[in-house]
Amino acid sequence: MADLVPSRIEVRDLTLMYGHDTVLDALNLPIPRGKVTVLAGPNGCGKSTLLRAIRRLHTGQKGKILLDDVDIATLGAKDLARQIGLLAQNPSAPPDMTVEELVRLGRYPHQAMLQPWSEKDGVAVNRAMDGTGVTGLKHRRIGSLSGGQLQRAWIAMVLAQETDVICLDEPVNHLDMAHQLDCLDLVSKLNKEDGRTIVLVLHDLNLAARYADQLVFVHEGHVRALGQPEELMKPELLAEVFEVDAAIMTDPVHGRPICIPRGRARAAAKEVA
Amino acid sequence: MVSTLAMSPRSPGLRLGLPQVYAGLILLLALAMLMSLTLGYKIYSLDQVWMAFFAHDGSETAVVIAGLRLPRALIAPLSGAALGMAGVMVQTLSRNRIASPDTLGLNAGASLAVVVASIMFGVQSLAGLSLAAAFGAFVTAIVVFGVAASAGGLSPLKIVLVGVTFASLSHAFVEVLLTSNEAQLQQLLFWLSGAFVDRPIALFYNGLPVVIVGGVIGLALSRALDALQADDSTAAGLGVPLGAVRGLAFVAVALLTGAAVSMAGPVAFVGLVVPHAARRLVGLRHIHQLPAAALFGGVYATLADVAARFVIYPVEAPVGAITAVVGAVVLLVLLMRRAA
Repeated sequence: MADLVPSRIEVRDLTLMYGHDTVLDALNLPIPRGKVTVLAGPNGCGKSTLLRAIRRLHTGQKGKILLDDVDIATLGAKDLARQIGLLAQNPSAPPDMTVEELVRLGRYPHQAMLQPWSEKDGVAVNRAMDGTGVTGLKHRRIGSLSGGQLQRAWIAMVLAQETDVICLDEPVNHLDMAHQLDCLDLVSKLNKEDGRTIVLVLHDLNLAARYADQLVFVHEGHVRALGQPEELMKPELLAEVFEVDAAIMTDPVHGRPICIPRGRARAAAKEVA
Repeated sequence: MVSTLAMSPRSPGLRLGLPQVYAGLILLLALAMLMSLTLGYKIYSLDQVWMAFFAHDGSETAVVIAGLRLPRALIAPLSGAALGMAGVMVQTLSRNRIASPDTLGLNAGASLAVVVASIMFGVQSLAGLSLAAAFGAFVTAIVVFGVAASAGGLSPLKIVLVGVTFASLSHAFVEVLLTSNEAQLQQLLFWLSGAFVDRPIALFYNGLPVVIVGGVIGLALSRALDALQADDSTAAGLGVPLGAVRGLAFVAVALLTGAAVSMAGPVAFVGLVVPHAARRLVGLRHIHQLPAAALFGGVYATLADVAARFVIYPVEAPVGAITAVVGAVVLLVLLMRRAA
């Protein structure tokens, strides 16, 4: 079903090393247009590295990343930044920066050097702040915001960039449950209403299964499995990739699969024996 | 929930529009320069200043005003403006609000170059020493930048660590050279603490174009510098070429600091204090931070120079001592507020 939608991004044979450690090993991944793709996997599996590679923040890689069949290595820095936006993991900015100043940073790839601030820039910034509900906070310093407000402000910054593809690296880290949902609902809205292509790295499998159109399990530098959450949330696969022994149920509210871990997979194996 | 918290308790900086801020700073600068012309060991009236410029009669008063007061009334604000802008860029590059050209070792490098030029090469003229100072600041900038870059990436922390290391090293050499050459100690000590007094006006004309070039580079980079206030991943994600922007900004810092040191010697802590005031006044966008820092830096250095004439009247104190005291107090306040 997913293969009926043409890929927006196509990762081909991507190999990436940190020193002598191979982080990504000839990895292939299609990212469908206008869908939410969630990358999940255990710590150190390479999912964040993969996301950063898609935004071309790594160099010295082998293989290709195609954006609408164009190798991103051939695109200019600002050109690429107008097409793929990134919300980094734990982003930081001076605490005395105002929300509006932060959101304005998103306009960087749209401006030539010394070109004055344009009406179009202003419209984009206001729309981004409206869409994330931070307009009322625009004169506040970001150091005075709560975690949820701060994350909204950062998402507004990425939105002001007006990219069709948005990558978010663990955007709900450090957020409480209500703000996790708040943040992911916002991301989901950007996908459903504006048809944007979203690539997310998420740690929480149940959140991943709930929001993903395409779920991707990254394991030891490879894509171990990809497909709809229903196809991937299987006890055998979770045992292999995440080393957990889990029961899978259907979430009675959303009809999405949820997993309930019993314990580590190794311990479970011993029990059976 | 978002909306209940929306009432902004405090807008950034003061509640002044940008035009008012700039007008106020320009007015203050004019006032400070006028004070610099009239106040001192002798106090002159505005009439006498007017006469000295437009009806120079060869009198002692006219000679003092046009020949001694005027150069320092021009060199002080230009040095302050240069150090203020350099300070803004250093703090952005290092993402450290207590960094300054001093932290990068540029002042120390300039001092070392002056001492070496004086003791080893027998340079005596002020023009020669100021050229050595500019050269020292510039070479230190390149060395610090190069070492930090080759040590694996220009991370903010690395730049500062390398800078502090070079600053200590330069200071050590200066101490050794001065201790073993007591004859020149007295003469160099005054220069080494920074001063605007007894400078020929030629230094101003030499420094002006360099400061303009440094300032223009900074303004041209202003949007990229804005983005560099965020973390590297975010800035790179916005399409900022990190290495190129850091390299160019460093050139601007070297030009500005070199020009300031060549005119006045190492005037301490100006580059530390001024950016804080600028951000309070106009916020964090560099297109405003830099001009505001230039204006406020000019006001600050000029007022410090006027104060230096009175703190141990009738003797003149080195202006670097004044700015060091003010800077130390500001630094302590910042540290206590954990703004660093």
